[in-house]
Amino acid sequence: MDSTTESVKKEAAGSGNNNSESKDENKKDDQMFECNICLDTARDAVVSMCGHLFCWPCLHQWLETRPNRQVCPVCKAAISKDKVVPLYGRGSTKQEDPREKVPPRPAGQRTEPEPGTSFPGFGFGDNGFHMSFGIGAFPLGFFTSTLNFGDSRPSAAPRGTQQHMEEQFLSKIFLWLAIIFIAWLMMA
Amino acid sequence: MANIAAQRIKREFKEVIKSEEVAKCAIKVELLNDSYTELKGEIAGPPDTPYEGGNFVLEIKVPETYPFNPPKVRFITKIWHPNISSVTGAICLDILKDQWAAAMTLRTVLLSLQALLSAAEPDDPQDAVVARQYKENLEMFQLTARHWTNVYAGGPHVNSDCDEKIKRLVDMGIEDHQARAALSSYNWDLERATEQLFS
Repeated sequence: MDSTTESVKKEAAGSGNNNSESKDENKKDDQMFECNICLDTARDAVVSMCGHLFCWPCLHQWLETRPNRQVCPVCKAAISKDKVVPLYGRGSTKQEDPREKVPPRPAGQRTEPEPGTSFPGFGFGDNGFHMSFGIGAFPLGFFTSTLNFGDSRPSAAPRGTQQHMEEQFLSKIFLWLAIIFIAWLMMA
Repeated sequence: MANIAAQRIKREFKEVIKSEEVAKCAIKVELLNDSYTELKGEIAGPPDTPYEGGNFVLEIKVPETYPFNPPKVRFITKIWHPNISSVTGAICLDILKDQWAAAMTLRTVLLSLQALLSAAEPDDPQDAVVARQYKENLEMFQLTARHWTNVYAGGPHVNSDCDEKIKRLVDMGIEDHQARAALSSYNWDLERATEQLFS
């Protein structure tokens, strides 16, 4: 414990001015990552949901000390073992310390991304999905299809005959009926 | 594990020495032994309180389980305060008991104690006699606290009336501090204090 700080001092003293300046900077950087309990650079670092950094052995011991009052040592927010996030730095090496017989630091929780899939969107045809939408003017369609206004009627009766007169009359009645019906639709 | 306690105190000690409160003479920490288990703290009485101008010495004992358990702190300097025993110097402060948190340091503890001096909690007393006086006769409490600060902590306010009454009891063969404590407890009523001392 003592030896580490001593060696840092010696190095700082032994090196030139430039170096010692950069050492100071390093020191500042290190301070940002100090465990809030042992005040040393955090080892097996974990971070609480409230954002405070600890060594896992330190935090574990704190939680063990007060099992029924588990609060963050810094801000007293409620914390628990399952709700800390381990920090995995790139250069971290596994240093086993036989003194600390604490359970291993909880693992990070990692969820797989959703399997394969962008939102299908409206790619008609891709998935055999079809959709149609129509607007039909029902009564007119009804009249046209059933009563066959237009050219394609079956052979018209020759002019002047009884049948011709009746057909003319009928078609007029239906025309009026249609007009009245449309008018009624408009009013409704 | 005692290791972590000593190492942490060492770091905190450096932190306190460098802190601006030390520069302002508001707090002070001294080591009493090499093992970092016993320290002497000192806080200045906060301004605009009866403790203004006084210097209060504290005994700090660091347990082996520090920082997971709070340091044991008591006042060495005698003080008249509802949350501090006028007899033993024991302190009633939540952060030194169940509200302790491992991230607190010597510096924050000393600053909290200083804050306690400016904001007493008479409803959670350590010294019931002082607390009752504080609630029933605030002026009398302030006078007494100021007098104690003057006598024990080097405060500037001399109260000749108090000194006079104490002298009369001392002349009757009562020890100085005993006389002061009795008079303080009885709102500086000489008759009642005498009665209590000789009963």
